[in-house]
Amino acid sequence: MSKHQSEQTMRRAFLKLCGLAGLGLACPGGPAALLRAAPNEEPPYEGPYYVVFNASGGWDTTYLMDPKGIGGINRLYQEGDILTHGVHKFAPTAQHKQGGLSNEDFYAEFGDELLVLNGLDYSVNNHSPGARYMATGKLDSLAYPTFAALVAACQGPTCPLSFLTFGNYSATGNLVAMSRVPYLPSLQRIANADAVEGNVRAPYHDDFALARIEQALGEQRASRTAQALLPRRQRAESMLYAAQVNSKALQRITPYIPETIPKERLAQQAEIALASFKAGVCVSANLSIGQFDSHANNDPDQMKLIPEFLEGVAYLLHRAESLQIREKLVVIVQSEMGRTPTYNSGNGKDHWSIGSIMFLGPGIRGNRVIGATDEGQFAIPVDPQTLACDKDHGVRVRPEHIQEALRQFAGIADHPHSQKYPLGVKDDEKLRGLWG
Amino acid sequence: MSNRGAIHHTMLLGALLQVALPVVMLCSATAAGAENAPATRAVCDAPVDVFFAEEVWAKVGAQKCIQCHKPGGDAEESQFVLRDITRGQDSEQDNLMRHNRDMFARMARLIVNDRSRLLRKVVGELDHGGEVVLPADSPGYQILAEFARRVNAPSTMTVNEEPAVDASVPPFFHGVVMLDNRRLLRRITLSLAGRLPTDTELSAIAGEGLTALPTILDSVMQEDAFYERLREGFNDIFLTLGVDGNADQTVLSYEHFEKTRHWYQNHDLSDIQDEDERRRAGYKLANDYRQALLEEPMRLIDHIVRNDRPFTELVTADYIMVSPYTARGYGIFDEVKSQFKNPDDPFEYVPVKLKALVGRSTSQNQESATGFYPHAGLLSTFQYLTRYPTTETNRNRLRARMYYQHFLGVDVLELAARVSDAAAATAKFEIPTMQAAECVVCHRTLDPVAGIFQDYWRFADQGVYGRRKEGWFTDMFPAGFEGEDLPADERWRALQWLGERTANDPRFANAMVEHGYYLLTGRRTLLPPKDLEDPRYAAQRRAYQEQRKQVEAIAAQFTQAGFNFKQILKGWVQSDFYRADGLATAELTPTRRTELDDLGLVRLLAPEQLERKVAAIFGQPWGRLTEQTAMLYGGIDSKEVTERAADPSGAMGAIQRTLANDVACRNTALDFSRAPEARRLFPNIEPDVLPGASPESDAKIRETIVHLHERVLGRYDDRNSPDVERTYQLFASVVADAAARNDLDRRESYYCRQGLEREVPDPHYSVRAWRAVVTYLLRQHEFLYE
Repeated sequence: MSKHQSEQTMRRAFLKLCGLAGLGLACPGGPAALLRAAPNEEPPYEGPYYVVFNASGGWDTTYLMDPKGIGGINRLYQEGDILTHGVHKFAPTAQHKQGGLSNEDFYAEFGDELLVLNGLDYSVNNHSPGARYMATGKLDSLAYPTFAALVAACQGPTCPLSFLTFGNYSATGNLVAMSRVPYLPSLQRIANADAVEGNVRAPYHDDFALARIEQALGEQRASRTAQALLPRRQRAESMLYAAQVNSKALQRITPYIPETIPKERLAQQAEIALASFKAGVCVSANLSIGQFDSHANNDPDQMKLIPEFLEGVAYLLHRAESLQIREKLVVIVQSEMGRTPTYNSGNGKDHWSIGSIMFLGPGIRGNRVIGATDEGQFAIPVDPQTLACDKDHGVRVRPEHIQEALRQFAGIADHPHSQKYPLGVKDDEKLRGLWG
Repeated sequence: MSNRGAIHHTMLLGALLQVALPVVMLCSATAAGAENAPATRAVCDAPVDVFFAEEVWAKVGAQKCIQCHKPGGDAEESQFVLRDITRGQDSEQDNLMRHNRDMFARMARLIVNDRSRLLRKVVGELDHGGEVVLPADSPGYQILAEFARRVNAPSTMTVNEEPAVDASVPPFFHGVVMLDNRRLLRRITLSLAGRLPTDTELSAIAGEGLTALPTILDSVMQEDAFYERLREGFNDIFLTLGVDGNADQTVLSYEHFEKTRHWYQNHDLSDIQDEDERRRAGYKLANDYRQALLEEPMRLIDHIVRNDRPFTELVTADYIMVSPYTARGYGIFDEVKSQFKNPDDPFEYVPVKLKALVGRSTSQNQESATGFYPHAGLLSTFQYLTRYPTTETNRNRLRARMYYQHFLGVDVLELAARVSDAAAATAKFEIPTMQAAECVVCHRTLDPVAGIFQDYWRFADQGVYGRRKEGWFTDMFPAGFEGEDLPADERWRALQWLGERTANDPRFANAMVEHGYYLLTGRRTLLPPKDLEDPRYAAQRRAYQEQRKQVEAIAAQFTQAGFNFKQILKGWVQSDFYRADGLATAELTPTRRTELDDLGLVRLLAPEQLERKVAAIFGQPWGRLTEQTAMLYGGIDSKEVTERAADPSGAMGAIQRTLANDVACRNTALDFSRAPEARRLFPNIEPDVLPGASPESDAKIRETIVHLHERVLGRYDDRNSPDVERTYQLFASVVADAAARNDLDRRESYYCRQGLEREVPDPHYSVRAWRAVVTYLLRQHEFLYE
C-alpha cells in the first residue's frame, strides 16, 4: 500500500469513527492523524444506493399490487379484469389513470425485477405512528433511526449528503445528519464553498492560507477530543468537523446537475438524489409525495396519485440507467397505511392497517409475490421459513420483520449502529430467503 | 407528510392520553367501601410506598394500566380505576399515588386459584378486557409479582424503609462542570436578545455573580429583540406562519369578510406618479398586509409576555391583536385607528375584541350571547384554525390532537401501542371509535375535544366559522373535556369553555415549561423510557426523572408567579440543565454516559439565530441565510418543513465554510479601515504589527487573539493558553508563508476590500492573515452552536 493510500485509509477510518459519535464515542486519534486526514478528499461512495419511495397519506393497494375486484372493494374494475405479469397480479389502471404511468406499463417494464409483499400488517392506522413504524420498524419509540438513515450511517458516514430526505418520517437516531436539499440549483451554489460566489477562479484565500486554516482546525479538533466533554458536545463536535471537511466533496456533484429541471415532484427529488449518488456523496434518499389520504373520492385521487408515483419510480430507474448506476440502486416502495375495503359515504376510503410493500434492485430476485390478503383484505400470516401463506401457524408480517430483513440485506444487521437499535424479531420469525 | 395530515375516524391506539377526575375530590371524599372510591383521609396521611412509586407505578402502571383503567377510560366500569399522577401537583400527587397503590394492593390481595388476581389479569386471564398486557417472563410482570409477594407476605419493614434508589449514588450533576457566569451571560443575551452582553451587565455578573441574573433578565426581556425571538420560537411550536395560500383569503373568509378583506385592491396610491413605482407599492401593501395577518397569533404571545399578563391568556384572551392593515381586513379600522401610534405601520399591533361574525346570509351569522366573537386566545384565532384545518372525515380530530399537544403537552400519536389485528378490530364494530376497546382508549378523550370545535366547520379556503348543516356527528363521543360534557348553553362559546378548563389544568403549566425548554434548546424534553429490558433503562429513567423534577419545579414557580412566562425562561436559564457545560473527568462509565447523554445545551444555531449572532459580533448580518439557503441550512417553512435540523449535513458544512470565508472577507479589512476606537475586531493593533518582530509585537498579537476569541467564540482564554497559541501559529504561519512568496499582491483581494472607510494596504499579508484567523474562528463549534 502506498503512503497516499495508507493516509487515505487512515483518514477514512478516522472519519468513520467520527461517525460513531452517535454511539457516544469521540473522534479518536491524535493530532497527527487529524493533520493527515483533514486536507484530503474522501473517495466517492460507490454504492449500493438506497431509495425509499413513500406514498404519504396511505395508498390503496387494491388499485396496484393487491387487486380484489370483489365484495365492493373496487368500483373501477371487477375480479375478472385483474391483469397478470409473470406471477404478479395487478389492477388495471390504463383506462382510469389521470396522467402518470399505468400499472400495465409499470409491470411490463419492471415486473420481472419486482418483489412484492402483500398482507403487511401496519398494525396501526394513523399517519404519524404508521409512518414512524414503517420507516424504523419500531412503533413505540421516537429514538429509532429510519432504515435510510441507518444504512447511511453504517455505509457512508463521511458522505456529505449521506442521508437525503424529501419528506416522510426521517429520524436519524443521532447517527448521521439528515440532509434536506429542496432545490437543485442550491446544490450548485454550495459546491465550491471556498470560492467567491462558487467561482473556482476567485478563491477567498490563497491556497497556502486555506491549508493553514484547515490545519489549525484539525489541531483544534484533536485538542477537543482530549478534553472532558459532555456526550452531546462530543457528538456535535464530531459531526461539525466531519460536515465541514466532507463538504468539499460536494464539488463532484456539479457535473451531474441537469440543465433543465423536471416539473414532476418525484422527478425533481430523483434528480437531486441521483446527482448525489453519482457524485459519490450520498448513500440513501427518502423520496416522497403526499395527498394519498383519499377519505373523499378515493378512486379519482388514487388514479391520479398511483400513476404519478409509479412514473416517479420509473423516472428514477431510467435516469439511473443513463447515469450508469442503475445496477447499484436498491428501491423500496411503500406507504404508511392502506385504504379500507369499503367506501365511505363520500366515495372515499378510510385508513386500513393492512397493505403492501415493493422492492427492486441488485440482490433482489424479482417476479415474486410473498404473502397475501384474503377476500376481505385481511392479512394472511406467512411462514417465515418458507414464506408461504400459513393462516394457522404463520406470523403476521409487520414493519419490524421488513426492517430486520432490510438490515440483513444491506449487511448492516451486526453493525454497532444497528445493535444499538434492536428490533426484537426472534430468530424463528425472521423472513428467510425474502430476497431470493 | 406534514402534520396537517389528518387524524381520521379510526383508532388512536394506546396513546398516552391521561384522564382523571379533578384532584380535589381525592382526599375530601369518604366513600369507603366502594372498590374504586377515591383515597380516604387515612390513606392520605400514609407515607408513599417507594417500591410502588418507583417500580410498579413508574414501570407498569403509568405505562400500561392507566391507558384504560381511568375515569373516562375503557375500563372505567371495572373495580380497578387509577388516577393520573400528572394531573396533581406536589402533595396532591402523593395522594394520587397512594390511591393507585391501594388499587394495586387490593387487586394483588385477591387470590384466584393460588395466584394473585393482579398477576392473572395482566397475562390476559380471567377475561381481562385488555387481554395480555405483560407476558409472564417480562420484567414488568416480575415487578408486579414482587409487589404481590410484598403485599401478601409483608415483612416487618414499613413501606418506606426499603429505598428504591441507592443512596450511595452521587447527585445527578456530580462531576458536571457548569458554564462560568460570563459565558452564561453571553449565552443568554445572544439567545434572547441577539446581542453581546453590555459592559454594565458584565460588571454586574462579575460583582454579584448569579444573583445579578434576574435583574439582567428583566432588562433583557424588555428589549424588542427579545420579542422577535419569542415570536420566532413560539412559531416553531405553533407554526401559524405556515397558513396556506394568501392569508387575506384563507384567514379571512369570503362568507364574513367579503367586503373588507381585499381592501388593499382599492387603496388609494394615486399620490405615486410613476406607474411602476405605484405598482410596486401596491405589491408591498398586499404583502405587508398578508404578513401582518399571519403574524397576529404570535403578536398575541408578544403582547401577553410584554405586558406581564398571565400566560393562561394563550387560551383565554378575549381579544386578538390587529394592526392598521389587518384591522382594515376585518373592517374595523375606523373604530380602532385612534389606538395606533402610527396608523400606517403594518406591524403595530393593538388588542381588539371582534364583534360576532355577520355572514352574507343570516344563516351564517355567528351566535353570541354577548354580541362579541367568543375569543379564546390562540385557540380561536382564524390563523390557528386555518393552520390546523378540518375535513368532512377528519371531524376536527387534527385540531383536538394539536390542542392536546400544544396546550397540555400530550402527543396522542407519539407512542401508539400495537394490537394483534387492528384491521379486524376496525371491521368488527359498526362504530369502532365508540365500540372497539383499542379505539375507544383514545377517542373517548380526543373526540369530545373535536366536538368543541364543531362550529368552526368550514374547509380549506372557505373560512373557519360555520355550523355543520346536518348537526354534529352522533357517531362520536359528544363535545366536552375529559369526562365533562359541554353544556348546551355554552356551545356558542365552546372554545372559551375549553380554554378556561385548560388554564386550570396542571398539565398546562408543565406544557408551557416544556415550550420554554424547546424555545431555549431547540429540542423537546425527555420522554420516559419504555423498554424495561434495555440495560440502559435505569440510567435513562434517572435522566428523565431529574429533568422532570426541574420541569415541575419551574412549573410551580410559573404558577406562583401568576403564570408569567418570563418566569419560565428565568427558571430554565438559571437551572443546571441550561448551565451544564462540561465534565470534571473524561472517564465515564456506560451508565453515567447514558445518564448524561442529553445534557448540555449544544444547539446548532438556526439560520435566523446565526444571522443575529453575526450581526452582534460584526455589526451587520451576513444576509445570505435566507430563503433557499436558509432551508438548506436546516430552516423551516412552517408548512411542510416544520422541524429544524439538529445536526449539520455536508451541505450545511459547505454553507458554514462559505459563511466563514465571506464574513471574514467583508469584515477584516473593513475593521482595520475604521478609526481604532470604532473597531470591533482589531481595536488595539495595526496591520504593521508582525509576528516575531519583537516581544511587544507578539504580545499585541496575542492580546488581539484573546480579544477575538472572546468576541467571536465567547471564550475567556489566557494569552498563553494552547488555544491562543494555536491561533497565533495560524496567523504567524500565514504571514511567514506569504513572506516566502514573491508573487502576491500587496493589497487585500478585490472582493475583500470593498466598502472600506479608507484604504488598507497589506504589504506584509497581515490583513489577509487576520482574515484567515477570523475564518478559522467562524468555523468553530463555539461560534456555530449555542
